[in-house]
Amino acid sequence: MKLFTKSRFLLIVCLIGLSVVGHAQDGLQIKNVFERYGKQKGSTMVELTDGSLGAFQFSLFKSLVIENNNEATDFVRQCLSSDEKGAKKVKQVVSNGVVTSEYLQLQQKNGIYRLILFNDLTRPNEKVTLIYIETKNNSDEILKYILKKK
Amino acid sequence: MKLINIKAKKLSAGEADRLIDRYYEGLTTNEEEDKLRQFLSQPNLPDKYAAEQAIFGYMASQKQQTHSVVFSSVLKWAVGAAAMFALVIGVGIAYHSATLNDYAYINGKKITNIQLVKKQAFLSMNNLNSGTNAVEESLKNVTADNNQEQLIKKQLAVFQNQ
Repeated sequence: MKLFTKSRFLLIVCLIGLSVVGHAQDGLQIKNVFERYGKQKGSTMVELTDGSLGAFQFSLFKSLVIENNNEATDFVRQCLSSDEKGAKKVKQVVSNGVVTSEYLQLQQKNGIYRLILFNDLTRPNEKVTLIYIETKNNSDEILKYILKKK
Repeated sequence: MKLINIKAKKLSAGEADRLIDRYYEGLTTNEEEDKLRQFLSQPNLPDKYAAEQAIFGYMASQKQQTHSVVFSSVLKWAVGAAAMFALVIGVGIAYHSATLNDYAYINGKKITNIQLVKKQAFLSMNNLNSGTNAVEESLKNVTADNNQEQLIKKQLAVFQNQ
């Protein structure tokens, strides 16, 4: 009986752990962008968990690059304008009244730092890049790394 | 009390009778009872041993029950161990599937090669700084314009001196 109780306890702990890790992205509109356009032709979607890229560590890294899709670009902007509420704008570039680049530092969720990085390149081709990062470390380090990277 | 070494030899009918008497008197040892049980389990024994066969047969079935109780206890442990094993395997699979979360979709085609996936991640990060080029280009143009203006001023200054 003790054995079963222990097993059950371990199982519950595992499930709680997984649920905490898995749901930090919930509630964000950009999640819909990844779901809608991630597997389409003309898109490149990346998902990495618990790893490092260059000098920074992350618990989740998601990126989406969409080429020549104005509808998708509009949808990304629409989702971003919703997610930027309450977020800290680290960088924003507006060209002809349209946001072409934006870095958002979202409020922490379950002790996890979250970043949304967006860039819209019009030359030589229309190319939208959306990146979502979750990290247990301070997200300033990631921002410094990305801002320095050229 | 005279003890018979019943281990050394097979039990004869006479010895068995004597042991049966001792059994009814409650004087038999476990060893003697085992020997008696063996004797009574033989086929084709005279009918006079029917009662004792029934008694020892019943006891044998009781012993089997004890075996089955022990077996069920072992079974419980085995089930518990299997549950733990399944849990460990489950956690292992969960961990493995977590590492399988590293993937990329390129034009709808899934890639799980970690090197290629990371390469795509780096490429996407490189795209981030592309937009700043427009700003820098504008700034360069402004700088270039200033240089041109200064050049024109210098050239005009030549005429002014004359």
